[in-house]
Amino acid sequence: MASSRILPEFELLLPQNIKEAVSALGKLKSKASVMAGGTDVVISCTKGFGSPNVISLAEIPGLDYVVYDSKKGLRIGAMATLQQVADNADVKKRYPALQRACAINGTPQTRNMGTVVGNIMRASPSGDCICAVLAIGGKIVLQGPKGKREVNIDDFYLKYRETACKADELAIEIKLPAISAKNAFARMTRTTLDLSKVNVACSLVMSGKTVKEARVAVGAVAPTTIRLKKVEAILKGSQITDEVLQKVVATVPTEIKPIDDVRSTAEYRRDVAGVMVKRIILEALGK
Amino acid sequence: MKYMLSFTVNGAPADVAVGPTETLLDVLRDRLGFTGAKRGCETGDCGACTVLVDGRSVRSCITLALTVQGKAVTTVEGLARDGKPHPLQQAFHDHGASQCGFCTPGMIVSLAELLEKNPEPCRDDARAAIAGNLCRCTGYVKIIDAAMAAARSPHKKGGPA
Ligand SMILES: Cc1cc2nc3c(=O)[nH]c(=O)nc-3n(C[C@H](O)[C@H](O)[C@H](O)COP(=O)(O)OP(=O)(O)OC[C@H]3O[C@@H](n4cnc5c(N)ncnc54)[C@H](O)[C@@H]3O)c2cc1C
Ligand code: FES
Ligand code: FES
Repeated sequence: MASSRILPEFELLLPQNIKEAVSALGKLKSKASVMAGGTDVVISCTKGFGSPNVISLAEIPGLDYVVYDSKKGLRIGAMATLQQVADNADVKKRYPALQRACAINGTPQTRNMGTVVGNIMRASPSGDCICAVLAIGGKIVLQGPKGKREVNIDDFYLKYRETACKADELAIEIKLPAISAKNAFARMTRTTLDLSKVNVACSLVMSGKTVKEARVAVGAVAPTTIRLKKVEAILKGSQITDEVLQKVVATVPTEIKPIDDVRSTAEYRRDVAGVMVKRIILEALGK
Repeated sequence: MKYMLSFTVNGAPADVAVGPTETLLDVLRDRLGFTGAKRGCETGDCGACTVLVDGRSVRSCITLALTVQGKAVTTVEGLARDGKPHPLQQAFHDHGASQCGFCTPGMIVSLAELLEKNPEPCRDDARAAIAGNLCRCTGYVKIIDAAMAAARSPHKKGGPA
């Protein structure tokens, strides 16, 4: 019996290694989507608004690694799932912000399917892993016909859903630095299944009670996930007193440009983002 | 253009010629007659289509069939052992955890994965395991009761292939 579904047309390519994938993408360019876990790509395709070609990474062996090295930091391969990263002992210990962003991402099934790299590449302003990685810092390793290059996450998101990844490049892995920074992530949703109406993450390098370096990221309040540079400047060199935290809460709304949409209102997002940043700073410091 | 998909469903080999656009749910239901997995939202949101691929629960409605080449798929039909229902199936029956039953196969498959990973779950573990399975009838309490009863069952290791 034929399928009961009306199927939109697209072609599926299953390259057996990275070279084949890069060469297929080099020919098709913007006429193809790269697919990792497919939790986003397949929905677009079966609903008829996807690319005419899908290049799946499913049959390329050895891309599902999560490895930590005390000098080089963490490397996450393009096919490592959200669940794998959430379960990884080194991620739990050193990158709790990323662990949390993976552990709360969608449902048990979409965590078994979806990848961290897919989350980064999807470039949604509400992407939970994006927020965590932007706070921790990291690099996206891209491969195209001319070879490999690395792009700092700070330079990766250009505008709404647009990244520095070119049409003939695919992401091989992401790299996070070996850090001693205290980091944490939190998000606000209506139900566990929802996408974030606001998400926040921070990473703080401490020297005793004083903040030496600070990175603070917030998502779903601007066309891309952004770092809060003014808040970071307030934190740097300060001790986390009530006064400093009040200043942070008051500054957050001046750095974001939220909109009204199905998940929330601009007004609510503006109010809640500051409080969330404050809480996440306290959480990172174990307070 | 069709391609040959060779995989196993509930332990038995299956070879099907499928198109690139067909999902695993299409192939299971419409080609192979495994109608246990249900077609709900088709956007990955409701969990009715949940099946196991190599022991891990996935959404078959957003899995392209050709990406499970060579893998082992288990549907709710494959959980019984030696003609006896899986302890979760028995417990759903005993505890009134199904009403219309549309969500039941997905619930049972999600919980089967939980029991494989964690044979002694608490109620919160069971709640987390079905966080992606929507039920419009039961209010979930009896489903959790059934999950806990199945976890206590001495036969729970009858689990998925
Ligand atoms: C029910 C449901 C719940 C969800 N909940 C959340 C949530 O809570 N938080 C959240 O952030 N997201 C959520 N998502 C969105 C999505 O599942 C995640 O972002 C997931 O991590 C995407 O990973 P994937 O491997 O499935 O991506 P895919 O669907 O395979 O790809 C996503 C995008 O990235 C591109 N891409 C993927 N891999 C590469 C690569 N290696 N190189 C180049 N481009 C690539 C694809 O072309 C596509 O544009 C949810 C989705 C569903 C269906
Ligand atoms: S039918 Fe697959 S999740 Fe709803
Ligand atoms: S029993 Fe009807 S949807 Fe769950």
